[in-house]
Amino acid sequence: MKSFEYSRAEDFCEASCRAVKGARPIAGGTDLLGELKDDILTDYPGELVDIKRIPGADEIKIENGTLKIGALTKLVKIAENDLIKEKAPILAEAACSVATPLIRNMGTIGGNLCQDVRCWFYRYPHDAGGRLVCSRKGGSTCYAVQGDSRYHSVFGGMKAHTTPCTAKCPAGTDIPAYMEQLRHGNIKGAASIIMQVNPMPMLTSRVCAHFCQEDCNRCANDEGVAIGSVERYVGNYILDNKEFFYQPPVQETGKSTAVVGAGPSGLSAAYFLRKAGNAVTVYDSKKEPGGMLMYAIPNYRLPKDLVRRFTACLEQMGVKFVTETVIGKDVAPEQLEKEFDSVYYATGAWKRPVLGLAGEELTVFGLDFLIEVNEWMQGKVGSEVLVTGGGNVAMDVAITAKRLGAKKVTMACLESENEMPASREEIARAKEEGIVIMPSWGLGKVIEEDGIVKGMELNRRGLIDVAEETQMTSREGVFAGGDATTGPATVIRGIATGHNAARGMNRYLGVTEPGCSGMEHGGERFLTFDPEGILNKKKARQEEIPADERSIEKEDSKSLPEAEALKEAGRCLNCGCYAVNPSDIAPVLVALDAKIVTTNRTIPAEEFCCSHLKVSEMLQPGELVTEIDIAPPEGAVMNYDKFRLRDSVDFAIVSLASVYSTENGKFTGARTVFGGAAPVPYRNQELEGWLIGKPVNEDTAEKAADLAVKNAIPFEKNKYKVIELKTLVKDSVLRMREK
Amino acid sequence: MKIQEITLYVNGIQYEFSIGNKFGQIPPGETLSQTLRNRLGLTGSKEACGEGACGCCTVIMEGDAITSCMTLTVDCDGKHILTIEGLADPETGELSPLQQAFIDRYAFQCGFCTPGIIMTSKALLDKNPHSTEEEIKEALSGNFCRCISQYHVVQAVSDVAGKAGA
Ligand code: SF4
Ligand code: FES
Ligand code: FES
Repeated sequence: MKSFEYSRAEDFCEASCRAVKGARPIAGGTDLLGELKDDILTDYPGELVDIKRIPGADEIKIENGTLKIGALTKLVKIAENDLIKEKAPILAEAACSVATPLIRNMGTIGGNLCQDVRCWFYRYPHDAGGRLVCSRKGGSTCYAVQGDSRYHSVFGGMKAHTTPCTAKCPAGTDIPAYMEQLRHGNIKGAASIIMQVNPMPMLTSRVCAHFCQEDCNRCANDEGVAIGSVERYVGNYILDNKEFFYQPPVQETGKSTAVVGAGPSGLSAAYFLRKAGNAVTVYDSKKEPGGMLMYAIPNYRLPKDLVRRFTACLEQMGVKFVTETVIGKDVAPEQLEKEFDSVYYATGAWKRPVLGLAGEELTVFGLDFLIEVNEWMQGKVGSEVLVTGGGNVAMDVAITAKRLGAKKVTMACLESENEMPASREEIARAKEEGIVIMPSWGLGKVIEEDGIVKGMELNRRGLIDVAEETQMTSREGVFAGGDATTGPATVIRGIATGHNAARGMNRYLGVTEPGCSGMEHGGERFLTFDPEGILNKKKARQEEIPADERSIEKEDSKSLPEAEALKEAGRCLNCGCYAVNPSDIAPVLVALDAKIVTTNRTIPAEEFCCSHLKVSEMLQPGELVTEIDIAPPEGAVMNYDKFRLRDSVDFAIVSLASVYSTENGKFTGARTVFGGAAPVPYRNQELEGWLIGKPVNEDTAEKAADLAVKNAIPFEKNKYKVIELKTLVKDSVLRMREK
Repeated sequence: MKIQEITLYVNGIQYEFSIGNKFGQIPPGETLSQTLRNRLGLTGSKEACGEGACGCCTVIMEGDAITSCMTLTVDCDGKHILTIEGLADPETGELSPLQQAFIDRYAFQCGFCTPGIIMTSKALLDKNPHSTEEEIKEALSGNFCRCISQYHVVQAVSDVAGKAGA
């Protein structure tokens, strides 16, 4: 056990004060001590504060018809108390079912409510081979999803924190959420989730390095979800339904904004600014909008036609484009800033960074190369090309050079192959085409011998300074972003900065950003997945043109057909925590509609127990449960039925807390809550509503059982739980015959 | 309030302990089972699972049977604790009726679980001297025996329950 300090609180106030400073309260200790002993957590408290001895905290009394139970009341007392047995017998029944009599002599009702899960991955003892840092502990994966899940949730999981895929996306796209919508066949919903942060998935899906894919949890076991390919399908769908997705704003704000630079960042800002109802004019020095997307990224990766179609969508929204206009030459910045309420500079980083290498003038900067690729390669066919860098631009240069006829193309980059910023697929593609990659090599000076090179210094030059949060420059109302502030970055990062700048400008202009009206996607109670789909080990692959047919004109790969894209969405595990709430008391309190009184407030039991994955997320810093209040339902029949293997000791495999009222053989009231079935107690309101008016008979019992598990999505290994749940429901209904 | 010293009453004897991480002190993380067995030499109660699941470490605290492996010693400040060593008459060495009944009924095999079972039974009979077989089984449901001594255990405890007050 890690060492800790120990103090004793005289009252809840003192305990709260200590808890705010990081102390963990200890009541019966039967849950906490197990965690301390097995060293399963990643974080341990420096102090425990004993709250067991707080005077009056273990009383049971009735006041104005409300049963009040002190949070520190031991379970044995609850199981044996006459008042509870009379007013809320279900609670006594549940308390009596907790663990063993020895544990009930120590454990408290408050502790039972706040206990941690029993998931065997979560509880895997540290000294038995190392603790498992699962999703619930801040890790990325839930081991049950692809491991042994026999005791886990049959109603889906709950998000413990941002999934690794989303965390890796510079724009923070909620990838599992849109995958979920796709599984439900709600493509519009999926599209709207992406478009909340990225207005051009049809482009990013083709050019993005897809860091998200590399960190997908599936990678640890088989193949990561082909997120980019699915995104591409959704992107195409958006373009095919552009009238719906790029509608002009319903209301104009009367504010005018200018965006300088029509690259990813500028276009992203233009979209979000226009969506909010501002007039938007985009200036660009080139002939067509798109920036790098139009002029630097090769056609085989991103057909230019798509860029044109996307900018047409923005025009459809009412964005104006002024091209072939250089700010600072054709239009003075001062004039621009006078004419518009706010200006966003996203002029990019087209200039070649000075690397400070001897002989640098002999080299060619990748972006220049890509822009003037054809001319440059003329007369160089058959020569050897050395590309330095490991990102996607370097990759594009290498591949383009090769396809244009270079004899040998070698790439040298500072990073090791695993750290190269280019996507894995891109690297594989380059190798396939015969490009030699030399990772972990830098460039010191340019010599044409064997090119054994060391050390390279990169200096970013000529960038604009902005405030990180709003992206406002030192001039009022003037914002900047994209590569112009960050130096060369990825398209998706540009989109993110464009969005952020639009947010900053909207705030500056006093414009409120619209939600995604008309494109709502119903929030589920639990994370759902496709039980068959997740078993699919192989990821979907976009059809690629054979290596010898590739050119710099035609797109290398084809989009996934719809069926395959949707099937791929079925491989997403919808990462979260799938452990079940182990408490016997919690479902009962939810069924009784009890109130949880804390040091700060009174919370309905349902909100307290069911709205967060962990109770600790429900409670504010230092907040402690002090009392449970129950208004006992009059004349109701209440039971706690617990299914487990060993009646003397086990936690519930599944349980049912039911509170029923009947009149003349028909149900007049019902509350049903499952324990052990979902990450939090699972109240089934649909069943409750359906039962009203139904006669107490076999038929009702059968149908109630079916309805109760309607939304179940068990894993391979825990299907049996669904059968047990049905049995519990059926028996509980039939029991009412005797009443 | 930070706890620096505690008092335990074990089998009627008063012990004062200093809490801390220095040599000889009781660290806050020490369990009652460790204190009893390692510091006081009271090795009658056993520690098997260390998780509160088997009941081998059962002792009686303020009349209730508890698992000493899941109890912090600091948490027991001021409490009266009874262990298996405290059952026999300290002067004559005469066994308590429960202990004797276990011998009479041969209610153990390897005996590892027996001290815990006897302590749980003692707590039960102290509160409810005429416990029924049902009540005995229920009370002992947290004490596991891997040698299947249970049948004889129930007989032994029932013997004492039947004789109580008679
Ligand atoms: S399985 Fe789905 S939610 Fe999990 S990391 Fe991969 S894409 Fe994200
Ligand atoms: S050792 Fe304490 S309960 Fe098993
Ligand atoms: S007698 Fe051996 S464990 Fe019970």
